[in-house]
Amino acid sequence: MKILVIVRQTPDTEAKIQTNSAGNGIQTDDIKWILNPFDEFAVEEAVQIKEKSNAEVVVLTVGSDKAVDAIRTALAMGGDSGVHIKDDAFADMDTYALAKVIGAKIKALGDIDLILAGKKWIDEESSQVPLQVAEELSIPQATLASKVEVDEGSKTAKVTSVIEGGERIIELKLPALITVEQGINEPRYASLPGIMKAKKKPCEEVGKGDINGDEIGISEGELGIDGSRYKNDAIEIPTITRSLKVIDGNDVQQASSELAKLLREEAKII
Amino acid sequence: MSEILVLVDKAQDTVRNVTYEVLAAALKLKEKNGASISAVYIGDNAGSIESDLGKYGADKVYKIENPSLKDFNPSLYAHALSELVNKVNADIILGGNTLQNQDFLPRVASKTKGGLTTDAIDIDLTSSSTLQVKRYKYSGKSIATLSYHDVKPMIATIRLNAYKPVEAGAAGEAVSESIDIPADDNFKVIETNIIPKERPELTEADKIVSGGRGMANGENFKLCYDLADSVGAGAGASRAAVDSGWVPYEMQVGQTGKVVSPNLYIAVGISGSVQHYAGMGSSKVIVAINKDPDAPIFQKCDYGICGDLFDVLPALTDEIKKLG
Ligand SMILES: Cc1cc2nc3c(=O)[nH]c(=O)nc-3n(C[C@H](O)[C@H](O)[C@H](O)COP(=O)(O)OP(=O)(O)OC[C@H]3O[C@@H](n4cnc5c(N)ncnc54)[C@H](O)[C@@H]3O)c2cc1C
Ligand SMILES: Nc1ncnc2c1ncn2[C@@H]1O[C@H](COP(=O)(O)O)[C@@H](O)[C@H]1O
Repeated sequence: MKILVIVRQTPDTEAKIQTNSAGNGIQTDDIKWILNPFDEFAVEEAVQIKEKSNAEVVVLTVGSDKAVDAIRTALAMGGDSGVHIKDDAFADMDTYALAKVIGAKIKALGDIDLILAGKKWIDEESSQVPLQVAEELSIPQATLASKVEVDEGSKTAKVTSVIEGGERIIELKLPALITVEQGINEPRYASLPGIMKAKKKPCEEVGKGDINGDEIGISEGELGIDGSRYKNDAIEIPTITRSLKVIDGNDVQQASSELAKLLREEAKII
Repeated sequence: MSEILVLVDKAQDTVRNVTYEVLAAALKLKEKNGASISAVYIGDNAGSIESDLGKYGADKVYKIENPSLKDFNPSLYAHALSELVNKVNADIILGGNTLQNQDFLPRVASKTKGGLTTDAIDIDLTSSSTLQVKRYKYSGKSIATLSYHDVKPMIATIRLNAYKPVEAGAAGEAVSESIDIPADDNFKVIETNIIPKERPELTEADKIVSGGRGMANGENFKLCYDLADSVGAGAGASRAAVDSGWVPYEMQVGQTGKVVSPNLYIAVGISGSVQHYAGMGSSKVIVAINKDPDAPIFQKCDYGICGDLFDVLPALTDEIKKLG
């Protein structure tokens, strides 16, 4: 069985951000980049399935040169090989265009039984790429999995998914795509030997010329940023403007009654 | 005339409030370009929903009803909506940013070659009738304005509580749409468990009381629940409280938890980290209870009490009850 994990690199969530000079993106020069925290759960899940069966785990990302670090992190956690799709033409694509590129490459790979992804990219929080990949490949999906059980014999996966107000159990025929909820497992830290080994694992580099758009019905011209459906007009970093009326709590009764009153009469909220 | 489609979210026999919020967003667009608004129900049994939907702005209600749409199946729902889009002149599709809509609209965008953006906090039309969306980006640290290229349909989900329902009109007209739903052997729902909740769902709640590391243990959360119940609020938590095992993950608010947007958010024993704020910063009024005058939350709130939460919570709950 072959499992593909799609992962993305993201600026460290602790990083302070500043807008770029064009005002439609952020300055990325001095930022530390990490593997999207949500994708760590997907990588861990793939490696755990591998440890139970004898699956092979391939890690794929679309991103610039430095995105290879995200693949290396996943390989250090136990992935077997990487696919790094990089081309200047692929910078700044929206999810729709990204899914086309990823979908085309997965079709070309051909023999993937299960695709795992994080629930969202922590930056954009769009949660679209994986599901659009599933659509491109016409395969079933389950989202926000809190448990995944793969049955290689019947080629199915039994998935427990978080839904509004509860959960449900779904059976998917493989090949299928599953996004995992955070907390489905405890992602392991990459060990030092793991990191050393990861450096020697194979990683295929893929450029625009290697992607066959015909496979998923997209023209050459649309493969890349021109396939995007929307653009960023502007980015603003909001300043927090709040009234900051903090009451001293030494006299609790007094403070509580004052707060209750403010909420009733000034904020008109209770 | 072009149509704005609004997805109906129905639980048991009632249309959920989020649908009326999204209709309010659609009305804002209608004022600009005069498009008509059509609500779309997908499921196995619509019932007579048109009068309520009409009251909040739907001119028409499409009902796509089929026994195989009883359980939500993202592929089949995407198929149903895409077929409707091919039949009618829909430029814009709007829905609440619910888990279900997030689950199948990406497939609709791919099927129809449309564009989708999620979790808008505001929407508008440009002079050329292109949809423009404001949404948070970079872990909630910035707000991006996005506009669609020349694509149709332009699809957006809207953050819950971002718009207030507006009463707008008369009963909508019901139109039954018969759409062939293919069999799907690849996806089978085995079991659905809805866990009954004592308090409002966080993403929909009008008010929320959340506890953090300052609560010190799980039992003390009772103090938060008492305050929550005194104002009919949902109950949330910081990641520190969840990671300590005091409360379940589904209560976590923040960048890696739920994103909420209530009218009132009370943060108790929560320091106000960037990651927590990412999940509740768009709340209308933020109240902080913390004993540390230098806690960052005091720089991000509207009201606060600087004091020990174990004294403040019972006293505040009492005072609120007194107000009645
Ligand atoms: C990638 C990433 C994602 C994250 N995602 C989230 C997320 O989704 N949600 C989230 O919440 N955090 C998240 N975090 C964690 C976040 O950085 C903080 O660690 C966390 O929010 C702290 O929780 P807290 O405010 O409850 O605890 P603390 O920061 O420890 O604050 C506790 C506060 O309680 C006060 N206090 C203590 N005792 C009392 C008392 N008796 N009376 C009154 N006040 C008292 C203290 O003064 C202090 O201000 C994330 C972190 C990372 C790196
Ligand atoms: N550039 C990319 N390359 C590979 N996988 C991606 C990429 N972008 C997003 N993904 C996957 O899609 C998930 C959701 O991302 P998003 O739809 O952007 O919120 C991520 O957690 C990844 O698993």
